[in-house]
Amino acid sequence: MAKRILLIDDDPDFIEINKTILQSGGYETDTASSSAEAMTKIGANDYDLVIIDLMMEELDSGFTLAYGIRDSARTRDWPILMLTSVQEKTGFSFDLATDQSWMKVDDFAAKPLRAAELLQRVERLLNRSN
Amino acid sequence: MATKKAEILVIDDEEVIRSGCQQILEMNGYSVAVAENGRIGLDKIIQHEYDIILTDIMMPEMDGMELLDEISRLQKELVIIVITGYATLENAINAGRKGAYDYLPKPFNPDELLAKIERGLDYRAHLREVQLLRQDRDRNMLECSNERARTLTIINSMSEGVLAINRQGQIVLMNPMASKIMRLSEERAIGRTFDEILRNPDLKKSIVSSLQQVQADLRSTRLEFDTIYGRAIEASITPIIDENKECIGTVAVLIDVTEDKKIEKMKSDFVSYVAHELKAPLGAIEGYLNLILDGITTNNPQTEREMIEKSRDRAHGLIALINDLLDLSRTDRKKILKEMRAINVVHVVGEAIEFYRQRADAKSLHLTLNSTGQVPSIRANKDDLYRLFANLISNAIKYTPENGDVKVDIKRTNSHVRVDIIDTGIGISEEAQKHIFDEFYRAQNAVDKKITGTGLGLSIAKKIAEDHHGYIEVTSEEGAGSTFRVTLPIIQSE
Repeated sequence: MAKRILLIDDDPDFIEINKTILQSGGYETDTASSSAEAMTKIGANDYDLVIIDLMMEELDSGFTLAYGIRDSARTRDWPILMLTSVQEKTGFSFDLATDQSWMKVDDFAAKPLRAAELLQRVERLLNRSN
Repeated sequence: MATKKAEILVIDDEEVIRSGCQQILEMNGYSVAVAENGRIGLDKIIQHEYDIILTDIMMPEMDGMELLDEISRLQKELVIIVITGYATLENAINAGRKGAYDYLPKPFNPDELLAKIERGLDYRAHLREVQLLRQDRDRNMLECSNERARTLTIINSMSEGVLAINRQGQIVLMNPMASKIMRLSEERAIGRTFDEILRNPDLKKSIVSSLQQVQADLRSTRLEFDTIYGRAIEASITPIIDENKECIGTVAVLIDVTEDKKIEKMKSDFVSYVAHELKAPLGAIEGYLNLILDGITTNNPQTEREMIEKSRDRAHGLIALINDLLDLSRTDRKKILKEMRAINVVHVVGEAIEFYRQRADAKSLHLTLNSTGQVPSIRANKDDLYRLFANLISNAIKYTPENGDVKVDIKRTNSHVRVDIIDTGIGISEEAQKHIFDEFYRAQNAVDKKITGTGLGLSIAKKIAEDHHGYIEVTSEEGAGSTFRVTLPIIQSE
């Protein structure tokens, strides 16, 4: 059965782009354009991977969403890939090695990602969780 | 010696004495005037300054004593020698009390007269000197106090805070701005040490090091600090050096830069916001292009075409944003650069309406213009005014669903022209109304309905209205529609 991925981004074009890439890799996708919509979908469905854009709405809403996923026993182990264009806005950069403990995500990457790289990262995360 | 001839006035009722004195004195190089009684003498004294007055006591009309009284009232410092037939001590004392300098008993010989005159002239020279010295001193004191008052006035009216501290660390001067910045009354501060009065450790440290400057080369230290009241202060601390190149204290100039800091932050926030707003569509365009170039969509020409269309839409939005940014910087520029003319508002609004007519028709909107009565011209920049109404009308069309109404009402009030742009669109929530004129603000319902916009149009409209001494207001109910009201003053064209 195809793996299901939830894509969360408030920019419809980025949803469109990433959805196309993921579908070309044989994944099934679901999308949400806000944290609230994402929480509703997460409450109703199971996903194999969640991809969150950090810059949704407020600066911390991507983090809040990630924490929400980690808080519930059902969703705790879902891999999370965080996409960010945050560096140039805040001058804030992340290091997976040191920031993962509080970021609660499994991977992050700067937007936009080329198809091959996105698929590679998704595959790695899915393999790890298996 | 080429000194001016001493001038002597002889007042005596006896012709013999008058002419006798005149003769003797003129022979000795003096210039002499005569008067036969006190009254005539007084007139002469008032009109001319004599070096010596030689006057008889016993005279008709006005006697010598009366004359002395009158002279003392003139407040002139004159050398008066009294001629008296009664060479009594009593007369001499009385005359002396009334301001006479000397007396000459009758009868006298020429030598006695000349000796008295010479002594009188010495005294006169001395008086002159004293008078000059006194004038000099008075003038200096006046200048001194003026100078001090002037300097103080200047220091006290400076918009910078000034704080002077002596070598002992005591505050010796604090101007009102410094009291305001440090929130310290002058009375509380003067005479106390800066260590007791000031709180900021960096400021104190700089003052200490400024006071310790030896062989000072007038180096000033600059620092920035925040007061405990949340004001940002820029301080410049400079040692005060005396003629011996010794540091006798230090002066701190304090500038409240809180507002500048705020503006600086707003600017940098704005730039980073703009950068982000520019980057997002470019990122999307790049993403679509990558998909196409990477061959992800090759098997689906329909999807590929949609992606190219979407890229074009984002590019289009980007151009709109850049245009708005250019408009924004244009409205920010000084008004002086803009041509202000008498403009007919109805015409300008009419032009904007015609420009957007097609767009309204495409949504089957009812777009109308109403003007009530005679609407006078206003002084305005035509391009700006067009941009203002074009923004509001295009917004109204954009946010009004199909078959709705967009109505523009123009009307004159007492002193203003009022333009209402009324739509039956999606409306603006009360919360959003508070921010609708902020740069880059976009109402959530507009975002939810995927209506594109840069978030700059209304902030530009507001700026233009304010540049024309007018204002813009909004009333709205979510789901029912919005009314934007622009009120511009009628300025009589000169």
